Amino acid sequence: MKEYSKIVDIRVKVNGAEYRESVPANMTLLHFLREHLMLTGTKEGCGIGECGACTIVLNGKPVTSCTILAAEVDGSEIHTIEGEAKNYQLTDLQQAFIEHHGEQCGFCTPGFIMSAQSLLDRNPNPSREEIVEAVSGNLCRCTGYEPIIEAIEAVARKKS
Amino acid sequence: MIKPVAYFKPDSLAEAVEALQNENARPIAGGTDLIINMRNGTENPGLLVDVKGLDELDVFSANGKSGITIGARVNLNFLIDDAKLRNICPVLGESALSVATYQLRNRATLIGNLCNASPAADMAPAMYVLGAGVVITGPHGERKMLISDFITGVKRTALGKGELVVKVEIPEIPDGKMAFLKKQRCRGHDLATVNVAGIADPAAKTLKICIGACAVTPVLLKGTDELYRETDNVDELADRAAELARKSIAPIDDVRSSAEYRRDMASVYVKRLIRKICS
Repeated sequence: MKEYSKIVDIRVKVNGAEYRESVPANMTLLHFLREHLMLTGTKEGCGIGECGACTIVLNGKPVTSCTILAAEVDGSEIHTIEGEAKNYQLTDLQQAFIEHHGEQCGFCTPGFIMSAQSLLDRNPNPSREEIVEAVSGNLCRCTGYEPIIEAIEAVARKKS
Repeated sequence: MIKPVAYFKPDSLAEAVEALQNENARPIAGGTDLIINMRNGTENPGLLVDVKGLDELDVFSANGKSGITIGARVNLNFLIDDAKLRNICPVLGESALSVATYQLRNRATLIGNLCNASPAADMAPAMYVLGAGVVITGPHGERKMLISDFITGVKRTALGKGELVVKVEIPEIPDGKMAFLKKQRCRGHDLATVNVAGIADPAAKTLKICIGACAVTPVLLKGTDELYRETDNVDELADRAAELARKSIAPIDDVRSSAEYRRDMASVYVKRLIRKICS
């Protein structure tokens, strides 16, 4: 029988930068981002795909990075929270989160931003219902959600 | 933590089948159940065979009412977003929308949901009422079977060693209304306490109803065509189908519900389903 390796070579683009890395096959994409690339903006909450704190955008689609192995994303393009603000300039969505008090402890915020930005990218003028559906996989234990939804709505209104 | 595991991404279906012959090899597509089970230690495969790159699994066709083919690579959000599918067979998107969250549905696949074979699998009841079949490939070639023969028990399927489900084939879609309903403890990404799917064809007088989470496998009710032919009164039909449902299921007490409550809810949801698809 053929031998199969527990170490996998991957090539990924993260926030525009190319990486070629060797990773253990049992390493999640979340741990790869946090512990291999030191991009600790993406958070680990539940670790089982329920809380959305680890949401990143993989090939244009928001996914929970804790339920994906780094080995699976060879050849992919990834966006994390670190790629949002550029040259110390926050995105409209990040600014709106501040203005509407869309975060308190801040732990869920990177995941919310990635889910919500991805929604605004595919649908610049979402309804409130579409916003709620898009972030329904992100849990926040502080804000009660209202300010978060208001922040996303504010950006959508500004764009339309 | 996930235990050390080997990983292989085959370039062809033949290579995938060969790799799956290894002791303790598992195919991985979306991985949304498998990776969590590996993290919990409830599954400890020695080799993951990543089938996401295989062209044979990346198939989708929905040509009018004449049938639908869905490959093992197709994720649940695709089934929700595809406008053609929504038109031809809305019950698939309705079922998919009830599964987990937007992020997970970008990875989770229809066929993964079926192969995981949870009694509460939200995609399964629609497959039963549509009479879907699975196409399996393995070391002895290809075989096809009905979904009701494929799912054999709690987390059990008819898949043999080294076999892989390539695609699902749904035969001709009946004319008429179809729907999926789900009872869950809280709206959001909870699993089903009871789920039901149904299709009613008023011209052919056929009625198919399947109930999930109320037995070791989803239960396709027997005798619903006859009930549909015997009465034109929707309320009477709903009552009789609900009674049939109560007798046909074998629910258990578990973390999500008591058996008694499940039996009651199965009855309520079958009535709601009938009113929705037979009115």
